[in-house]
Amino acid sequence: MQLLGLTFLIFLSTLNGAEVLEILHDNCAQCHGKGGKVKGKVNLLEIADLDHLKGDPELLQEIIDVIDFEEMPPEDEPPLEMGERKQLLAGLEALRFEAVSEQKAFMPTPIRRMNRFQYHNAVQDLFGLKGTVYSLPERMIRDHGGYFKPASGKMDHLVKVGSRPLGKSQLIEPRLAGVAAFPQDLRAEHGFDTQADHLSMSPLLMESFLKLGQSITGSQDFGPRRVGIWKEFFILDSRDKREMKVVVRERLQKFLRRAFRGRVKSEVVERYAGFVDVQLARGVEFSEAMKLVAAAIISSPRFLYLYDDSGSDGDGFELASRLSFFLWGSLPDEELLKAAESGELLKEEGVQKQFGRMLKDPKLKRFCDSFPAQWLQLDRIISSVPDPEKFPEFYFLAYRDSMHMMMEPLLLFETVLIENLPVTEFIDSSFTYRSGHLEESYGQLGNPAQKRRGQVVVLDFHRVPVEDRRIGGVITNAAVMTMTSGPERTQPITRGAWLAGVIFNNPPEPPPADVPTLGEKPKEGEEHLTLRERLSMHRERSDCRGCHEQIDPLGFALENFNAIGKWREKYENGRKVDMEGVLFRKHKFTNVIEFKDILLLEKERFVRGLAGHLLAFSLGRQLSPADQIALDEIVEKSATEGYRMKSLLREVVFSKPFRAKASQANK
Amino acid sequence: MTTRRGFLRGLGGAALALPWMESHGAKTLTSGVAKRMAHFYVPIGVVRRGFFPGEEDATIPKGNLGTLRRSLDKQDPNFNVRSLDQLTPTMTPLSGLKNKINLITGMDRTFQQGTDVHAQCASCYLSSAPPYTIKGTAWPLDRTLDHLVADVAGRETPFSTLEFSCNSHKDNKESIYFDNISWYGTGHLAPSVRDPRKMYRRLFSTKEIERYRDVTDLVLEDARSMKKDLGYADGQKFSEYFDSIRSIETQMDRLESMKGELAKVSFDEPAEAYLPRGEYIRLMGDLMVVALQSGLTNVATFMVGPERWDTPYLFDGLFDKPMSHHGMSHNQTKMIEQLLKVDRFHMEQYAYLLEKMEGVMEADGSTLLDNTLFTYGSGLGDGSTHQYNDLPIIMAGGGNQVKTGQHINMPEGTPLANLWLTQARMMGVKMKRFADSSGEIEAVKV
Repeated sequence: MQLLGLTFLIFLSTLNGAEVLEILHDNCAQCHGKGGKVKGKVNLLEIADLDHLKGDPELLQEIIDVIDFEEMPPEDEPPLEMGERKQLLAGLEALRFEAVSEQKAFMPTPIRRMNRFQYHNAVQDLFGLKGTVYSLPERMIRDHGGYFKPASGKMDHLVKVGSRPLGKSQLIEPRLAGVAAFPQDLRAEHGFDTQADHLSMSPLLMESFLKLGQSITGSQDFGPRRVGIWKEFFILDSRDKREMKVVVRERLQKFLRRAFRGRVKSEVVERYAGFVDVQLARGVEFSEAMKLVAAAIISSPRFLYLYDDSGSDGDGFELASRLSFFLWGSLPDEELLKAAESGELLKEEGVQKQFGRMLKDPKLKRFCDSFPAQWLQLDRIISSVPDPEKFPEFYFLAYRDSMHMMMEPLLLFETVLIENLPVTEFIDSSFTYRSGHLEESYGQLGNPAQKRRGQVVVLDFHRVPVEDRRIGGVITNAAVMTMTSGPERTQPITRGAWLAGVIFNNPPEPPPADVPTLGEKPKEGEEHLTLRERLSMHRERSDCRGCHEQIDPLGFALENFNAIGKWREKYENGRKVDMEGVLFRKHKFTNVIEFKDILLLEKERFVRGLAGHLLAFSLGRQLSPADQIALDEIVEKSATEGYRMKSLLREVVFSKPFRAKASQANK
Repeated sequence: MTTRRGFLRGLGGAALALPWMESHGAKTLTSGVAKRMAHFYVPIGVVRRGFFPGEEDATIPKGNLGTLRRSLDKQDPNFNVRSLDQLTPTMTPLSGLKNKINLITGMDRTFQQGTDVHAQCASCYLSSAPPYTIKGTAWPLDRTLDHLVADVAGRETPFSTLEFSCNSHKDNKESIYFDNISWYGTGHLAPSVRDPRKMYRRLFSTKEIERYRDVTDLVLEDARSMKKDLGYADGQKFSEYFDSIRSIETQMDRLESMKGELAKVSFDEPAEAYLPRGEYIRLMGDLMVVALQSGLTNVATFMVGPERWDTPYLFDGLFDKPMSHHGMSHNQTKMIEQLLKVDRFHMEQYAYLLEKMEGVMEADGSTLLDNTLFTYGSGLGDGSTHQYNDLPIIMAGGGNQVKTGQHINMPEGTPLANLWLTQARMMGVKMKRFADSSGEIEAVKV
């Protein structure tokens, strides 16, 4: 086997395209193309020339990723030296840049309907509703004491919360009677519930929307006490002596602008006004007619669908919607619409001003009710059921400890955002929020002074400093450790895959279908082995190795946390937990604190991963190679402010893909 | 069989005239008359002493035994079938209908740790999914029996199913899981209608259809003009909106074509006035019967009251002040007499509906009850122990398809899903298994 180093032109800082291709052919094609061997479905010999390579930015990205994350070449092949690796990477990145620049623009986000969460919020905002439209268990934290105050820049030391999906009676809240939600839109795998290709329409759903619209405005609770715009929209002012037709059109003009999030052509106003005219002529009473038209408006595709107007002249309305659906999960408010109309949103300062204002608005809670839980895939804790015989302490009354566990990482997220802390707190936080119940369920990692109290309705969470660095952050908390375990034992591979996907935004391929998973209980004769030993016997196939070399050290690093997140030094069979490993082929670690130190040392990888998640969430689509360059810029720019959460969000908002359409029109 | 006059009996303030007409049930190909299914749900369990044969001297539970979730006494674990001669006090209202029913005891469901005990008894009653089989939700909630049956038996009717709830509370004290037994699937509620006027309009008012039409016309026009603003790819994807609206219009056409037929039904629109609890329940029940009879639907669910819901009701004629059924259920040692009255009151409503169905003549000379599987049941075996085992279940109707007049005690641990499987198959659904079913209730089959 020829050594890579010999073919390298070490003194050149960046390799040119031809040289990159030559290296790939000479060194990687052994397994990726030659003699019919096509591992990982990548055939490098199919790439005949440079133009071919440049014409496939997705493939370029894939090659960059496996080299950057030190997945390739595999461990049993000669390695790349650090310098060589860097040069090859630089060469590939230059090629990617060329490839992407040749493509005209960023991938557009396809037209998509609002998801269940956005629809709820949009209806609430449009009518100025007090209370909810319908209960959403996916909004995991219920705020009981009004702790969420983004304008204050500070989180309280004691917060009173409830777990909507798992707590007692947490879905009982002021809502509109007789209104039933359509089914929850599930998040895309390694993605979000905003992703356009997941948000389609069906006859059943369309019927739900028609019924929903009518049941909302027809609800017995839809009246002056609940509806903020009751007087200005639904009630005729007896002092107003103008013709009814004029009044109707004036009100609809304003309402439609909010509902459809932009300028509304007079023909559209006329269409809806005509509907009201007909109702009134039939003898329907004014308020009733306005309720009917409002129900129709929220069934219109112009309300239900999010889309870019291909004929728009870029007046900022699209950006206004993009901002508000990103940070508020809802329609733009009046001020944002005005900023769009006046052209303020076409200027940097204008966007900056609106962005700053939006982060202080209580509606920011919607961002916290959607992004973090999906980013961390926390819905998985709802389905976690540790074996009741092995872990009886997980169960109390009719409930499960997961009710308390799931609050911890979410409260950390909200604090990092509201207090604008560095996002590295997600890896290694200096504080956390705990309930007395949670303290006890942590065992030795908890505070023994706290008594288990078994709260099930309103849970008191206290902010406590993290003095033991084994805990803290979004990785080593009980919720994540539990949901990435099986009923009887930890699943290091699942944990590794979670880390790769969530923390580094580099999810592994799913395992081949013909490989059986390792049983929960050891096979006969394997009882004395550690989990790592059992697993290594289990996977002897060489084509599994590529992925496992990447995810295994990540997962095994957390082996000291058992299947419900408690600390352990030994397995049940008495063997010492073996968690040591090497990360990115260069950083050795022997305990979980060292593991965290490495993640911090390589923090750009994490920040880039998080930025990618935020961008995908906000754009409603998967990222493409063109977006990768933007991610590099976001990381670079937010570094100057110590990777603070709000700077990261700001750089996402100012990134080229986020502004693609608006900036195009700007030129 | 009741006479025409008896059938037209008026009800309190709501001047009610039930139609005398042949059933317009959608005809099936094999037999002449459609098969129907209805479920009558009783919240908060029953007092075991009053309901179950052989438990007259059962231990009275003390207070709220919410964490017990099993029986205090051991029930007969063996399978046996007896003839239904002597009825227990709670079942007495059914004495004239003994040969139309089966009492089935010994069937269980399984609670999934992670929610309040009441939260799953009604909401998961008709799906009966085993714990932890539904991902991403604390409720083991699946598509319910009524919808699975309607997928086959409700294809031709304007409403594939109808959902009734006799919950007259004005507050929204509880979440949707306490007021609904019918679900299209996890997280997708088939909302029940509580207001008889609303239900009436849904069934008979052409105004509702006109309004729907107005709206669909309007939004279609909007969609057409919007399509011009979309790029090619978006325009393609957007056609899903047009297709969806069009198929809804077809559905409305179907309903409209039936409206001519329904114009013959003389059922006055219910007044808005307050109705005493019994009359309110019976009015809702009449609406259900007329919907089944006239072919508006073949499948219905009926909650005689909401699950838990602490707000007191006025049970007119039973007590002189409003009482909370749930509150009383946690205090059986003191309130057992009152609770027995409530159980009996609910049974009287069930008996009323059975008689009503028995009085409706179908085209082939059989009665509506003969062609309907109409099941009484609760998701709790007792309101204090909060047990999910040994549930009170009575299955009525089914005509010559069903062997009746029996008390069937199923062997210990028989899943309730076995009954749901039996009913689904009787209704023409081809399925191998229903939730955790382990077989059918053979004893009800002819």
